Amino acid sequence: MSRGAPHISTDSSHLPRRTLLRGAGVTLALPLLECMTPVFARAAGVPEPPVRMLIIANNLGVLPAYFFPKTAGRDYELSPYLSILKDLRNEFTVFTGLSHPGVTGGHSTDNCFLTAARGAFKSGFRNSISLDQFAAEKLGQVTRFPTLNLGVNIDKGNRSLSWTRDGVLLPAEDSAPKLYERMFVQGDPESVARQLHKLESRASILDTLLDETNRFRRGLAGEDKSRLDQYVTSVREVEQRLQTARAWEMRPKPAAPQPAPADIQDKKLFFEKFDLMLATAQLAFESDSTRIVTLMADAFFTPVFKLNEKSTTTESYHGLTHHGKAEGKVSQLQEVDRHQMMLLGKVIQNLAGKKESGRRLLDQTMVLYGSNMGDANIHDNTNLPIVLAGGGFKHGQHVMRKRDNNDPLSNLFVTMLQRMGVETEAFASSTGRVAGLEMV
Amino acid sequence: MSGGYAPGTAHLHAQRNWTILALIAAQRLLLGEPLPPGLRAAIDANCVQCHTGRSAKAGLDLGALPFDLGERSTRDRWIRIHDRIENREMPPKGITLAPAARTSMLQQLGSALHEADFADAAAHGRGPIRRLNRNEYEQNLRDILHLPDLDIRDMLPEDREAYHFNKVSETLDMSRVQLAAYLDAAEAALRQAIAATPEPPPVTKFRTSGIRLFPGLRSTGGRESMFFIQGDKGINVESERAKPMTPEQETDPTIEMGLFRSPGWPYGAFPRGFAAPHAGHYVVRFHARAVLQHPGFTLTPAQRPVPMTFRSRRPTNHDIAEDVKSTGGILEIGPEPRVYQTTVLLNAGQTVEYGLLGLPVPQVDAYPEKPGSYRYPPFPPEGQPGVAFQWLEIEGPVAPAAWPPPSHHVLFDDLGVSPAPAEPKREAARLIRRFVRLAARGPVPDEAVRTFEKLVDARLDRHEPFTEAMLAGYQAFLCSDLFLYLHEPRDHFAIASRLSHFLTDSRPDAELLDAARAGRLRDAAVLRSQADRLIASAGFDRFAKSFTASWLNLRNLRRDDPDKRLYPEYQLDEYLVDSMERETLSFFTAMVRDNLPVRNLVEADFVYANERLARHYGLPAIDGAAIRRVTLPPGSPLGGLLTQGAILKVTANGTSTSPVLRGAWIMDRILGQPPPPPPPGVPAVEPDIRGAKTIRDLLAMHTKSATCASCHATFDPVGLALENFDVAGRWRTHYRGLEEGERISGIDHTGHDFAYTIAGAVDSSGTLADGRHFSGVRELKAIFAANPRQLARNLLQQLTVYSTGTPVRFSDRAEIEKILDTCSKHGYRTRDLLHALIRSRIFLGGY
Repeated sequence: MSRGAPHISTDSSHLPRRTLLRGAGVTLALPLLECMTPVFARAAGVPEPPVRMLIIANNLGVLPAYFFPKTAGRDYELSPYLSILKDLRNEFTVFTGLSHPGVTGGHSTDNCFLTAARGAFKSGFRNSISLDQFAAEKLGQVTRFPTLNLGVNIDKGNRSLSWTRDGVLLPAEDSAPKLYERMFVQGDPESVARQLHKLESRASILDTLLDETNRFRRGLAGEDKSRLDQYVTSVREVEQRLQTARAWEMRPKPAAPQPAPADIQDKKLFFEKFDLMLATAQLAFESDSTRIVTLMADAFFTPVFKLNEKSTTTESYHGLTHHGKAEGKVSQLQEVDRHQMMLLGKVIQNLAGKKESGRRLLDQTMVLYGSNMGDANIHDNTNLPIVLAGGGFKHGQHVMRKRDNNDPLSNLFVTMLQRMGVETEAFASSTGRVAGLEMV
Repeated sequence: MSGGYAPGTAHLHAQRNWTILALIAAQRLLLGEPLPPGLRAAIDANCVQCHTGRSAKAGLDLGALPFDLGERSTRDRWIRIHDRIENREMPPKGITLAPAARTSMLQQLGSALHEADFADAAAHGRGPIRRLNRNEYEQNLRDILHLPDLDIRDMLPEDREAYHFNKVSETLDMSRVQLAAYLDAAEAALRQAIAATPEPPPVTKFRTSGIRLFPGLRSTGGRESMFFIQGDKGINVESERAKPMTPEQETDPTIEMGLFRSPGWPYGAFPRGFAAPHAGHYVVRFHARAVLQHPGFTLTPAQRPVPMTFRSRRPTNHDIAEDVKSTGGILEIGPEPRVYQTTVLLNAGQTVEYGLLGLPVPQVDAYPEKPGSYRYPPFPPEGQPGVAFQWLEIEGPVAPAAWPPPSHHVLFDDLGVSPAPAEPKREAARLIRRFVRLAARGPVPDEAVRTFEKLVDARLDRHEPFTEAMLAGYQAFLCSDLFLYLHEPRDHFAIASRLSHFLTDSRPDAELLDAARAGRLRDAAVLRSQADRLIASAGFDRFAKSFTASWLNLRNLRRDDPDKRLYPEYQLDEYLVDSMERETLSFFTAMVRDNLPVRNLVEADFVYANERLARHYGLPAIDGAAIRRVTLPPGSPLGGLLTQGAILKVTANGTSTSPVLRGAWIMDRILGQPPPPPPPGVPAVEPDIRGAKTIRDLLAMHTKSATCASCHATFDPVGLALENFDVAGRWRTHYRGLEEGERISGIDHTGHDFAYTIAGAVDSSGTLADGRHFSGVRELKAIFAANPRQLARNLLQQLTVYSTGTPVRFSDRAEIEKILDTCSKHGYRTRDLLHALIRSRIFLGGY
């Protein structure tokens, strides 16, 4: 039955995990989510359960007046929005006074939330590497996917949280069934063999492309050359990834914990899509398909949408955020913001409820919620709304930095990178670690 | 008049924040070359008072700004300074600069900038190489492989946009994701090109009639939506639930299927028992007549034709999440019973769905205010139009003219299906050279071809099948830099490619390549005749579509739906939106093909319309779905882009209209004068619009605050002139509301209750920033039409970005003015402008 690839066992996913590990010569007791079925993700073995990060960004932010608490410290008084998370008070820290220095220009900063690249509104702007890609570069490919980049209602060609070192956009995936298929749907032996053959074939094609480009590149200079350098980098990166892709192709995918989700395409169902993508991110963590997930809710690109079971918004999401204090718009926005806080609460709650090697998954997972927009009504890119949950930090506090002279948000990124095990003292415009955040 | 040279942006405030721009850029650099003495003196006299030292206004320290114009970023700063002086934004109000002094400053700064920019472009090329975007990649492959229906576009990531267009070198990046997608797409295309079987797929014929013309005995949307007919009378319609038919009825060829609704969810109207066994074209023949339904399920002949199309889809009930596409064009079903025929394109497993246009769409509401509740909407007084079908045949896939098909020949010449030549390496060497010659857009050095040959050889050495080995070579070429990138026109082949990707979104055809090979593409007469030929070709439709998708934002035409409480009549009216799109495309095509003066962009005595649009615009009734030119009655407010439904829909804020958005959009896209940046040094203020009751109140607040007024005065009034057009571009004299005013209620065409009110009257008069007053859209159009040079200048700027991938540079400006001069005699006719751009240095290079 496995004539295409005799070395691949078709039913390995049913084998007890330990048997497989022993077969692979690994005897360490590896961390495993209690809900999880076998994966090969950590064949090398790590004594500690891995640290993960989930970054959620909404490019229109929230109404600041209802989001930021007025008092600081551990005894801070919850703001109207944060009181939605009151049962989870000790699971997160809320920050005031963080932003990316020089990252201004209203909506043009959408693509800079995780890159902190300055001057997006200028002609000739080029983005820089995003936090997730930076982390993946340093950590190497220890899971089937180094990162997953998700989107809700996203304008895929023009917006993304994820950017390469060359400042090139990495498009987001916005289909839950497609992600599910990539994570869980195991091809039959023949299709696996076909896939392996394809990867092999591709490697020699890439060699040829590199040969040809190097020949051609000799005659180029200036901008032409830098455009072509991008091409060469891409060829090399595809090539590097082929190696790991091959290894992963030979390992069975984890068993799916639940049936494939139905796709939601209707842009009007903003919250339903948002919820589905968050659920997909959790599946990715639980199956250890990846340890880094980014998710952009492209509110800017969201047309009139369903507000609740009874009504739809009176205008597009972007239109609402330019509320000019008009009551009708502000009240709709409040409902939208609250709904998102509930979704955030649900993720935190779910992660807190899952165990991995006796620890709460939440303590191993950093959940960052934020926006590039401090106040969308006036296109303000300072005082960004930022919540960090989980990850094993001492939470239950409001870290209040200066509103008129913000700390770099990248400081928080440095702290997160270090928590991921990345040995770095700096990221983008950081000046150190974020103030006020300690490990438990 | 250089505001238009600034890149267009997604939002006005956001990306024009000069204050911050200047702050960031305010670095003290070493002085480069000294300023020309006259300029230095003028700047000292007029500018440095504010712009000097640490506290320089807007962070612009003119004492410290170097004059090293060879440096790109410095040059860009001086260009901004130049433009702000030219646009009279600087010096600010209160400081007078004598006209002669201004002219002299601009002249000195302008010529220094021109020289520096010209030298840079001459040395390094006007712009860098540009990657093909996904439309172009797909079309290149379609043309090379002779696969006109190849569908690989969606395998490639969406392309980034800049300056409104997805054809700009600087944003058409390459990444590992992009490259992997090219590899996948190229492979998929090549596999489709190969004939895998010794014979073409067999042709099958399917015929059905009577009650088997529909999957069930009734349709969603009420009994009136679909019922079976015998002798002009509905049968089996006594109750809401249809009874089973008798065996006699099942096979009775005299029974007709009557359909009285348009597609909408849920909807599954296709013949029983057919699914395409293979992908391909199928001929559909059917017998039908247009009818009117009256209460009691009785029929009379229709008075007008009913337009219809087919849609390709899987024959599964209610599930339309998959791709459903219109196919087979639009047929006009007349009242006389007769046989109709069309050809549809189907994937394997798909069927044809009846798509009647412009009928009611009884709709289960996706947002369950009243779950599941809908009725068939009330009939019009003359009866409810629909179509009665008697029988239908589907035959296909249409046999190819030859087997193996031409696509196979491109790859394997005459070697036939599953080629296994005796001397594989020799054949491989010949075939790869042949393929590269067919696929490349210019000569490829033999050294490069050998790289691909080596790849194939290595595979043959490993005993891979000949077909697979060749495929790898072809795939490599189609993903190589040789194929993926377009170059500045240093040779005639690059000119040919630039011209063909401009006017047809694809590779140069054989004739154009011949002209390149003969080195004749710098000859003005040859260029003109080649361009004319492409403009007349079918490929030009792709240009019209792709250019207007970006320039006029038609790509977002379907992004937002009008507020259904206020505009129940526009819900799910895809026929209307489709017609609007075709109107604007036809109009733009005519502008070029008929070489109309650019003035017609804003003022014309004709529109392009069909029966649906004629109704929408309140024009005398016409029959048929085909778009045609219609002469307007005298005094009509219509004519030109500004009053076209598609434009008014994309400029509305989705649900309702906003003069602010419309005005800014028109100034940016049509006039080429995007609203100027806010004055430096003024912090953004939070607009407080509480208390603004009407749109006029809101706009009045913009004029009260000096901060707002400086920008908004230039575009708010323009939008006001269009207030007589609603969210979908229909004429209105009053706004609609939900509370105050006369109440209008009824059942809409989706079968739901609606109620709105007739609110305040529209006032579309206004005063432009320069003081010119208009009483409404006609007068505003006349004002714009009086300055055709600016309309032409803007069009040239848009065409420059689109065709060269690089926006108008400073050193191009003089060239643009030269083009305008040559075209002024005949009122800047559109095709004249295109021709003049094509033969300019901007397009042809040659510094």
